[in-house]
Amino acid sequence: MSIAAALPRASQREQVEAPGRAAPAWPLYAVTLSSACIVVGLLWDISWHSTIGRDSFWTAPHLLEQLGAVVAGVSCGWLVLDTTFAGAAAARAASVRFWGFRGPLGAWVTIWGTFVMITSAPFDDWWHNAYGLDVKIVSPPHMVLALGMIAVELGAILMVLAAQNRARDRAGVRALGGTYAFAGGVLVTMLATLISEYASRPNEMHNPLFYKVAAGTFPLVLVAFARSGRLRFPAAAAAAVYMAIMLAMIWILQLFPAVPRLAPIYVAVTHMVPPSFPLLLVVPALGIDLLVGSALGRRGWLVSAAAGLLFVALLLAMQWFFGEFLLSPAARNYFFAGDQWAYLARPGPWRYQFWGVPKDALGNLDVGALARGLGIAGLIGMASARLGLWWGNGMSRVMR
Amino acid sequence: MTALRARLLGVAAVVALCSAHVGSPDVWYEGAAGPYRVLVYVRLPGVVPGIADVNVQVVGDTPDRVTAVVNLFDATAGTPPPDVAAPTPGAEGWYHASLWIMAPGSNSVTVAVTGARGTGEVVVPVAAVATRRLPLARSLGAVLVGVGAFLVAGLVTIAGAAVRESVLPPGASPSRRRVWAARAAMAGTATVTALLLVGGRVWWDSEDAGFDAELYRPFATAASVRQAGDRRVLDLAITDSAWLRRADTAWTRHHRRNAWSPLVSDHGKLMHLFLVRTDMEGFAHLHPATDDSVRFTDTLPPLPAGRYRVFADIVHESGFAKTLVASVELPDLTAGTAPDPAGDDGFFVGRAARAAPSGGSVATLADGATVTWERSAAPLLEGAPAPLAFTVREPDGRPAVLEPYLGMPAHAAVARDDGGVFVHLHPMGTVSPAAQATFTLRGPADTVPGVVGRKVARADSAMLGMAHMSSAGRVSFPYAFPAPGRYRIWVQVRHGGRVETAAFDAQVGAAPRTG
Repeated sequence: MSIAAALPRASQREQVEAPGRAAPAWPLYAVTLSSACIVVGLLWDISWHSTIGRDSFWTAPHLLEQLGAVVAGVSCGWLVLDTTFAGAAAARAASVRFWGFRGPLGAWVTIWGTFVMITSAPFDDWWHNAYGLDVKIVSPPHMVLALGMIAVELGAILMVLAAQNRARDRAGVRALGGTYAFAGGVLVTMLATLISEYASRPNEMHNPLFYKVAAGTFPLVLVAFARSGRLRFPAAAAAAVYMAIMLAMIWILQLFPAVPRLAPIYVAVTHMVPPSFPLLLVVPALGIDLLVGSALGRRGWLVSAAAGLLFVALLLAMQWFFGEFLLSPAARNYFFAGDQWAYLARPGPWRYQFWGVPKDALGNLDVGALARGLGIAGLIGMASARLGLWWGNGMSRVMR
Repeated sequence: MTALRARLLGVAAVVALCSAHVGSPDVWYEGAAGPYRVLVYVRLPGVVPGIADVNVQVVGDTPDRVTAVVNLFDATAGTPPPDVAAPTPGAEGWYHASLWIMAPGSNSVTVAVTGARGTGEVVVPVAAVATRRLPLARSLGAVLVGVGAFLVAGLVTIAGAAVRESVLPPGASPSRRRVWAARAAMAGTATVTALLLVGGRVWWDSEDAGFDAELYRPFATAASVRQAGDRRVLDLAITDSAWLRRADTAWTRHHRRNAWSPLVSDHGKLMHLFLVRTDMEGFAHLHPATDDSVRFTDTLPPLPAGRYRVFADIVHESGFAKTLVASVELPDLTAGTAPDPAGDDGFFVGRAARAAPSGGSVATLADGATVTWERSAAPLLEGAPAPLAFTVREPDGRPAVLEPYLGMPAHAAVARDDGGVFVHLHPMGTVSPAAQATFTLRGPADTVPGVVGRKVARADSAMLGMAHMSSAGRVSFPYAFPAPGRYRIWVQVRHGGRVETAAFDAQVGAAPRTG
């Protein structure tokens, strides 16, 4: 794979070396770990709501999310103040200006995200009082919170990227490329969680909406990573991190006994309810890595169209049959965590059926409607990939 | 934030609707919990999921432990562990717990008292529904708009910095062209953000409209009067598709309705219907009969002409009690036939009892007996326990012997003059005994409609046979007026074999603002 396409263009221009010590590296790692805490806290919180139900500001998963937000925000705040008032010339040179202060771009995005997360708290509280507790992921206050979380994660990505793009030696590029894949994997996990109401349950894997939502979400980030990462397979690495986080959550959560503390209970759960088995995203991500790294990678519109279609085709190939497996009795075990439902899910045959499958009047699979749906998913994937390519081009040039 | 500002300007009015009863959603229960006598007051959240305030008083006992737990009527996999109710600071003998109600519909609050006399339990039925829209407080709206503007400005600045400087090697200065590109990026970001905020507002509005559509409303109902021989007959028909098409599974699935639940008889009657003239000078408590659970019919007593509000209490087998609301214009019926004096229907025409200077007021019944409202001169306040205690005396002043009226020592109907509040009370409180029975009698296998209803009907007729003796002609109703205003209270007892009604007026003031 040629990494020429992934090389930052700005680095090919004349370098202006600045004297003195560079900015400290710890805020970068603090923010990256914080963003991971936020995602783990979010998955834990969803499991908490599915298992225990009883909620307060002070539940352990909420504290983990808040800790992540605070550590990320404070680290970046310190970095900005240090760079502005006490920073060496090198640190100041590798920063951008914001209302008179100086700091790396990623630090500003993280600080902004922290403020958005804080803002969502009173909004969410009012929402609960006005409309009732929103026991779902996609609601206006939750989307404000999610925007803040994504911004914190994006800030981590940008800080790692700038360091990766400035790195000269091979070991530095490898290490920072790996950190970038980790930060990227955290973002993929976040996005996968946000769309999990539409694109995570095996029951949805024969529903064209599953492919439309996934195609609108994942090619955007995977193509951007493939273009801007310096590992051999950056998108696949990020997808692997996503799968690893999800698997760890599935396997760890199930170890903890817990019972519902709210009614109505329709499922007598005995331990923390895990999320669904992760999407097998490594395969479509690897396809995108190969495509973006190939000679086609220079032709923006063409590679975007190909990446969008390839993503949907590979996702379909993986999830269509894997979904059937996950619904089968063979998946009802610790490893695959199949057939696990929140305590307030009413029992019914729907748990073991595919939802939203296009069917004809006789109840058979309507292949035409399915093909149309998948075609639309392909078009959405193309648009998503094109945006991802623009974004990736921009990110591959970030130096500060 | 456009959406927030719009929200601020177009503040939605608070819509106070009803569940069981009208405009009076809170639940009062007084009765036995095993060997203990308890008073339970549940303040509902107005939205679901939301937190209900459960208050318990154990009368004449100091318990070791009071617990409470909420459950939905058809939960199939057990009950969560109960919460321990903590003593309420500043209210001797009261215990308090905050409980989440997660699912709308017929819920129960089970209160258990443990003390020297063992453990006693009681189930209080609670109809949990969304009943109100909360406007966004101006102060909070202003804070959110301010913070939103700050965040948008920050985002635009970040976009500018990203284009102007972030792609430059450390130390390099942006070219003039790059500076202009940054300005363009800031303008573009501002535009996209504005579009997103508009989209957010549309989303919020649609969520709000969806919430409004799901707000609890009783079935649409129509009332009319017709002549049948020498009788004037009141017809009350449920006209709501949700009830008329309840057995049409395609319709119910399309409209996302839950499985329907048949009606059960509540202390002897399938429906308790109240007529209240708009000036409150005419009142009747009737029990229409039905063949199909859709059309309910009863003979009208001799009431003066005028427009009447109709409130009809029914109870579903799920335990959900509701009050149907309608309106009807009555012709002059005063020359009509009076109801069977030995029957269960009662009516009252005329003014309320005048208040005595001491605070109480005395009403004289048709047979010469008197009903005295035992209250001090202290004003009545919204939300505060109301002293609704009455003593019935024979014409010679001795305490009267009250006969059970539909299984109860007494009934009371409370209405506000604008029709915004109506509640049907018993000495056991606001709860319907049938609703309570649906919870206590429902077995784990009772999943077929009608099974619980038959059990409730059997228990109901057994209860009607029991003689409830009130001590020394005294009856009281646990209740708190939900809102300020001018109210009338009709107290009904069976005395000398007849249903007798006394009317009292009450002026309820706003609660003093705290905090």
